[in-house]
Amino acid sequence: MHVLEVSRVSKSFGSVRAVQEVSFAANRGEVFTIIGPNGAGKTTTLEMIEGLQRPDSGAITVLGMTWDKDAENIKMRIGVQPQSSALFDLLTVEENLALFASFYDRHRPVPEIMELINLTDHRRKMVKTLSGGQKQRLAIGLGLINDPDIIFLDEPTTGLDPQARRNIWDIVLKLREIGKTTVLTTHYMEEAEQLSDRVCIIDQGRVVAMDTPKALIGRLTREREIHLKFESDAAAADAEGAARTEPHATRVERNGEHLRIRSGKPEATMYHLLGFASGNGLSIEQVSIREMSLEDVFIAFTGKEWRD
Amino acid sequence: MAYRMKQLRMLFDAQLKETFRERQVWFWSIMFPVLLLVIFMVIFGGDGDFSAKVAIVGERSGAAAEAFVQAAEATGVLKIEQDLDLREAEKRLKDKRIDAVIVLPESGETGDFRLLLNAEGQTSSTSQALGSIAGQLTAAANQVATGAAPAFDLKTEYVSASNNNRLKFSDFLLSGMIALSISQSGLFGMVGLVEIRRKGLLKRLKMTPVNMRLFGIANVGARFILSIVQVILLTIIGVLAFRANVDFSPLTFLLTFIVGTLAFSGLGYLISAVSKTMESYMGISNLVSFIMMFLSGIFIDVNVLPGYLRPVSHVLPLTFFVDGIRGGMVYGSGMNADMWLNLAVLAAWGAVSFILATLLYRRRSASV
Repeated sequence: MHVLEVSRVSKSFGSVRAVQEVSFAANRGEVFTIIGPNGAGKTTTLEMIEGLQRPDSGAITVLGMTWDKDAENIKMRIGVQPQSSALFDLLTVEENLALFASFYDRHRPVPEIMELINLTDHRRKMVKTLSGGQKQRLAIGLGLINDPDIIFLDEPTTGLDPQARRNIWDIVLKLREIGKTTVLTTHYMEEAEQLSDRVCIIDQGRVVAMDTPKALIGRLTREREIHLKFESDAAAADAEGAARTEPHATRVERNGEHLRIRSGKPEATMYHLLGFASGNGLSIEQVSIREMSLEDVFIAFTGKEWRD
Repeated sequence: MAYRMKQLRMLFDAQLKETFRERQVWFWSIMFPVLLLVIFMVIFGGDGDFSAKVAIVGERSGAAAEAFVQAAEATGVLKIEQDLDLREAEKRLKDKRIDAVIVLPESGETGDFRLLLNAEGQTSSTSQALGSIAGQLTAAANQVATGAAPAFDLKTEYVSASNNNRLKFSDFLLSGMIALSISQSGLFGMVGLVEIRRKGLLKRLKMTPVNMRLFGIANVGARFILSIVQVILLTIIGVLAFRANVDFSPLTFLLTFIVGTLAFSGLGYLISAVSKTMESYMGISNLVSFIMMFLSGIFIDVNVLPGYLRPVSHVLPLTFFVDGIRGGMVYGSGMNADMWLNLAVLAAWGAVSFILATLLYRRRSASV
């Protein structure tokens, strides 16, 4: 069942067409990620779903309700973590949670949320003394206080260090475990790949691809890049000759002792080259095959370089 | 319904904590008014006693000069030094060790009494008072010279609206400072609204089912608590340290206090609606507060202002607020016509600001 349906939604600001004919639907209990470069229209899309902006055209239903008729009921049942962590700076962690709890007709116990976002030890600290990652976790906690049916996380890890980012990922994975529907935006491909059940790639206001990360990568050609490092330039040059005659290799590049080969059938190319090396007494110091990632998917679908 | 009450309580609690945990509030709303009160009290409050050091030089020849000097001694407010020559007296005047030099006429019968004053202090109240004292002394000397008894005499008495005839300038100042600080905590207090809009907290709150009306009520509630703290603190300091007199009419004071706090909060709300950043908010509030501070009779009576400024002061809300507060805490005037006029003007200011601000906020959120 779809808990969220967005169909053919568009929004312009003056002459800028921020979102154009975007459609997607999120299923109950999944982590649905909207990914795209900065300015792709992720936040505008999310803000229309959250009722902060009105679409120029198209329809949005949240939990089967629309903003025109059921604004109050939708607000009761969704949770939001906006991009800027907007908190009461002079209240403590616990006070912020208790205050937000009072906005709803039903809510989870405050200690339970503090446990989930791992801030129990800091509960009596004022927000202004917290680190960026702790503030972000509290912002997520505020979005969870009403036990929402859908939670929206807008770039929850932007600007955080790797450890703080890990902590946020743990929370998202816990949410999936307890069966919450999570709609996430990010511009980190790695994050989308790690966390999402399904990914929707947006570029310049349009949906360019949507599926599970695995299926999206599977849609790319089977071509992989093999990287070999030899003991010497001469050895690499010998192997280069062998690589060029291998039928599956589509491109061969050598740079000193490094050899890079693109191949449509990497396991066969690899077998051939390793056989050549041991037959000719060449010793290999490093071997790797680079896996295709969502980044390659983005490049393949938009023809553009991906920049974080 | 029950959870709405709880929501209001939680919001009020939160606003109170946000107010009193902010160091800026402690400084600008508590320390600063106290400091201002103490400074003004020390400079102007006093007991109202006037005294000046005057050197009298020249020969006391003749009855008129003798009468002049005796009358000067009799005033009791002039400290007279007599044994200086003119040059030494002028030097002391330039150094401001004395306030004036009076030179007696050379001939005992006719000529001028000359009053020398320090040019840098020519507009000071001391110089003006000395001028008028010297004028009266000269008149007395003339009477002695001509032998005529005065047909008329002028007696000055100060009359005030107070039932309490011990009313002093310090009472005027204390009640003025209280009105000023309440008005400022309303004007400056809404800066929080600009902040929560800038930080995105307002947007965040709009994504919850929170009742924004309750949020506003809680905000004004916190303003009231702050104002009550100010009134109590300033009154205690004024009465204990500067022996200011208070004569409360509880109802007049309470009504003026409530309507005034609401009106200035309304003005603050309007300023928050027109300013995008905290800096512009503070700029506008400072300007408004500064204009009102001098034109609304906080430190100086409105009637002393030049004629062309008086119409301005007669529309400013602080003029009416300070009048109401004085009526309620110093003059002990009951619920008279003045009080109702003050309340009406304040209510009008509050209502217009509030409605205008609400319209501006609506228009802005519709355009986002």
